[in-house]
Amino acid sequence: MCDDLRVRPWFPLLSALAITALAQPLSAQCTSNASSCVICHETQGLRPVLDSAQIWHVDHGFGDLCASCHGGDPASSTKEEAHLGLHQPLADAANSCAGCHTDDASERAERYRRAAVSTAPPPDGPPPTTSLPEVDASRAANRLLTSLAVVLSIVLFFAVRRTRVPESRPLLSCLRDKIWSPYSAGALLGLVVAFAEVICGRPLAVSGAFDKLAAYLGRWFFPSSQYYGHIMTPGVTWQVWLMVGVLAGSFASSKLSGEARFRWLPDTQWESRFGGSRKLRLVLAFLGALLVQVGAGIAGGCTSGLAISGGAVLSPAAFLFMMGMFAGGIPAAWFWYRGRTN
Amino acid sequence: MFDVLKALTLGLLFGWALQKAGLTHYARIVNVYRFRDMTVMRFMLTALVVGAVGIQAGIDLGFAANAPIPPTSMLSNVVGGVIFGVGMATAGYCPGTIVAEAGEGRLDAWVGGFSGLIVGALVFGLLQPLIMPSLARVGALGRVTLASLTGASPWLVLLVFGQVVVLVLILIARLGSDVRNPARTEHSRRVA
Repeated sequence: MCDDLRVRPWFPLLSALAITALAQPLSAQCTSNASSCVICHETQGLRPVLDSAQIWHVDHGFGDLCASCHGGDPASSTKEEAHLGLHQPLADAANSCAGCHTDDASERAERYRRAAVSTAPPPDGPPPTTSLPEVDASRAANRLLTSLAVVLSIVLFFAVRRTRVPESRPLLSCLRDKIWSPYSAGALLGLVVAFAEVICGRPLAVSGAFDKLAAYLGRWFFPSSQYYGHIMTPGVTWQVWLMVGVLAGSFASSKLSGEARFRWLPDTQWESRFGGSRKLRLVLAFLGALLVQVGAGIAGGCTSGLAISGGAVLSPAAFLFMMGMFAGGIPAAWFWYRGRTN
Repeated sequence: MFDVLKALTLGLLFGWALQKAGLTHYARIVNVYRFRDMTVMRFMLTALVVGAVGIQAGIDLGFAANAPIPPTSMLSNVVGGVIFGVGMATAGYCPGTIVAEAGEGRLDAWVGGFSGLIVGALVFGLLQPLIMPSLARVGALGRVTLASLTGASPWLVLLVFGQVVVLVLILIARLGSDVRNPARTEHSRRVA
């Protein structure tokens, strides 16, 4: 398992098999952090609204806010129960907005009412259907991708022809290894991501845990904040427990390989660049962590929650985020190491 | 209760993978941006492909209908990524590896890292109402995927995506961009 993944093509196969064996049928509330409104309407595509031109939906698409305007019960799993008490928010826009925007509800409502004239669909119109040009486009896309796949297969065949086969070792000895091949460790992470998405309906996100914990402080410092009142409510959520698991997993791994010990400075590269000052390390660690968390907030997730989990469902957001990471990271690394060769 | 157990187990394996891949080292993270050690890219891209195959299999078998798709809004995804990258290259951290570093006994992560994350979350809480409503609207595509955008079959998109990733990984290995990888040279010195 610790060997090079390139010659172990059964890894992806195994992941698919394991998921089939262990997955349980989906129930609407499962453990998803999205309400069941979002699951049915957006994820499963029954009358999706978030990618429409209706600016009130786009404006509120960052959070789980459907029920605060539309009413209904997002926690119930049947359509009948969930739709009890639904109403048309635009019919009484000022009141719908006033639930959250206490100061300027009528102003906001007026803006939406004006926009509604041009964009709103008939109240109970049929879901949008795929039109003919779109079908043509998807056929063309399929054809293009198929030819691309054939070309890539040929290129890959020549690329992997002469890959060496690593010798095999006793299976459990690798638990004590200091380091695994990044392919093996990455495959393990891929399985974890797939399990989290398939069985729990959640991205494997760490940064969210800190948002949820910081929200306790946020409510204390800013009691009138709408963000902490309605969008980021505090709580010891699934993600917080995930974070506790990460802490334990890293401890177990480093304990078994004999690497766990208390220390203040990262490694030799840090010391040769920044010296042995504990204070400087803490300042830069604080600054870096702060920027990372703000960036994750703006982008909608961190390396694990957006780049890997989002990339695994092939969301463009993940790839845009990774491009941004390099666009920010390369100049910053140049800044810290300019004029140095080590 | 069962949910908490699932979260703890998945977290445990996640932390294990991060630690075994060596992502708890400052140099490993920073050197990606100096093109000296591509371990992080190998690790992430492998996880991406294995995860994508697993999830698509789950969807086809009817188990993953609620696999959440993060919304794409181009400007905020990129801007957030840039700020994230600057932070990563400054401290050698991302949120997951801070937690993994703390588990390894690194006190800079416990003291500097955790406080930075909490303060960062508060800073974003203050910024959110000011910037997000306008930022998130630029290039907002909603909860789309590469498959739903092109209208192509998801497995076909996945196949090509996987092939491109494997090719990139082979190129990274062939170009030998991590010859100067400090962790590895240190190790070989010890062996010799």
